[in-house]
Amino acid sequence: MTTLDIVMVIVRVSISAFVPLCFLAVCVTMERRVAGFVQDRSGPNRAGIYGFRAGGLVQNLADGIKLAFKEDIISEHVEHKFLYVLAPIISMAAAIISFALIPFADTLVLDGKAYVMQGIPWDTGILWFLAVTGFSVYGIILAGWSSTNKYSLLGALRSASQVISYEIPMGLAVISLLIVYGSINLSDIARFQGQNWLGFIPMWGIFLQPLAAVIFIVAAFAECNRTPFDLAEGESELVAGFHLEYSAMKFAVFFMGEYVAMFASSAVIVTLFFGGYNIPFFSTDFLIRNIKPVAFVMLVILPVFMFYFAKWIRRNNRSQYPRENDPREAEATVYIRCFWILIGVIEVFLLAILAFAQPDTAAAHLLVALMQICTFLLKVTLMLFVYVWVRWTIPRFRYDQLQILGWQKLLPLALLNIFVTGAIVVALG
Amino acid sequence: MAAKVKQLPSRGGTPAEKVYLIEIFKGMGITLRHFLRNLWDNSNLYVRHYPEVQPNIPAHWRGRHRLLTHSDGTPKCVACFMCQTNCPANCIMIKAGERTDGITEKMPVSFTIDLAECIYCGYCVEACPEDAIRMDTGIYAFTSSNREEMKIEMDEMLSLKGGYTEEEYQKGLEDE
Repeated sequence: MTTLDIVMVIVRVSISAFVPLCFLAVCVTMERRVAGFVQDRSGPNRAGIYGFRAGGLVQNLADGIKLAFKEDIISEHVEHKFLYVLAPIISMAAAIISFALIPFADTLVLDGKAYVMQGIPWDTGILWFLAVTGFSVYGIILAGWSSTNKYSLLGALRSASQVISYEIPMGLAVISLLIVYGSINLSDIARFQGQNWLGFIPMWGIFLQPLAAVIFIVAAFAECNRTPFDLAEGESELVAGFHLEYSAMKFAVFFMGEYVAMFASSAVIVTLFFGGYNIPFFSTDFLIRNIKPVAFVMLVILPVFMFYFAKWIRRNNRSQYPRENDPREAEATVYIRCFWILIGVIEVFLLAILAFAQPDTAAAHLLVALMQICTFLLKVTLMLFVYVWVRWTIPRFRYDQLQILGWQKLLPLALLNIFVTGAIVVALG
Repeated sequence: MAAKVKQLPSRGGTPAEKVYLIEIFKGMGITLRHFLRNLWDNSNLYVRHYPEVQPNIPAHWRGRHRLLTHSDGTPKCVACFMCQTNCPANCIMIKAGERTDGITEKMPVSFTIDLAECIYCGYCVEACPEDAIRMDTGIYAFTSSNREEMKIEMDEMLSLKGGYTEEEYQKGLEDE
């Protein structure tokens, strides 16, 4: 193994392990601010360090510190203390490793060697995701059972029945996808979606398999225990469901596990249906061959984008009431300067590439990989927004409605989809 | 008066509604409109920026109690125990004593209201025959870190000023 190999292993593993954790802050902030805006209120916007509130991000820090310093209680009546402590760990660990096989950029070629941009370069792909997320439900069931509490137990019971009714349509939806893509390797699937159909429609899963997309997304919502399928939590019926007896960091780990699972399943939805890391209409080869025009376009677009972004910050980051020497406006100025400096640094790099880089060199490959990582994270963020958006739109399903939806609606639809897809694929040869 | 019953047409029976997804997308459209409007410019939020911006308290709002005085500064209260008898929360404690200044025969020696018990119903104000107690201070936020501090004494209540003019207060009573 050369030094480059080792560096690439470290880079890939750290991206796939730490990006979901970093996105926790984004998820939680987004959840709370979007909830606020949807309901015409502002969400957390007061907590700040020396007046710097970072759009509500500092609130996470405050909450994190609070949870870390709270008393960690294990109730007297909890009989299986080991399982009780194990449950949140399973939930969180399963969520993190379910992201490990998702490609966040196209295979990177450096010095003639190819590096698969996944945390673990295996071929099991989507099967790994199905297996590991299925495992994460054990965390919930164990938590509910070992809490020795009727509400927790009911939550666990609901979660167990939910898994059975959703894993099957989800798996069947994936089968019809696999018929189309012809591979279970997520890298292959993402590369397949980089092609264009008739030259202008990207061959994304959502266009090839709209029904499978609907089924899979619905099932993924259930998988993550998100509203409208958060029956295991059901705070209006079951107090807090499976995590009722958990306090302090043990609760926080459940909470983080939920958001990491949300990130991982968004990433899988993006990879299966929304083209993965592909930039729409531009294949990796095309970008690498035309690195100079691409760098030039980026060079022009970034400042224009930043100009409007700065205007948006100015408009929104101010006190909405008469106030002398508004500190929030000073805060906005600092943010805008920081962003301009960041843009400046990126511009310098792009200029260097424009001046010196030749097509199909290491620099070109790296730039394209970075662009694809950004595209992937942008798509995932949009999918996370959909999760949040749905949560603040739709009320919770009732227990029996959920079972009916899973067994009587989604299962036949998924089977039908497999037959139709199979027939079309056979007919087209 | 009999309650008015409004019959709403039953929804959800048409095939388009039974598909469910269409209705979900409609609902998501509504929430997205709200979200984008507020994201575009957050001065659109229907929010009062409390505590920097204080709400307008109307004159008939029942806030903290105060005891009124005659023009010479002596309390109007004659310790008749009407308010204490009327109080549904039993939060008023009066001790009566003899009055020596010749205005009436009785006056309170101590007049304590436990604001942690008080339900702000305003019956004490209505019961008072001397117009000696009012809830027109306009103070709506009152907190304390222990229960003893929630008991307010006569001196404190006598020193509070009304938040409104007499005219506004009388009009407020009519509005109520």
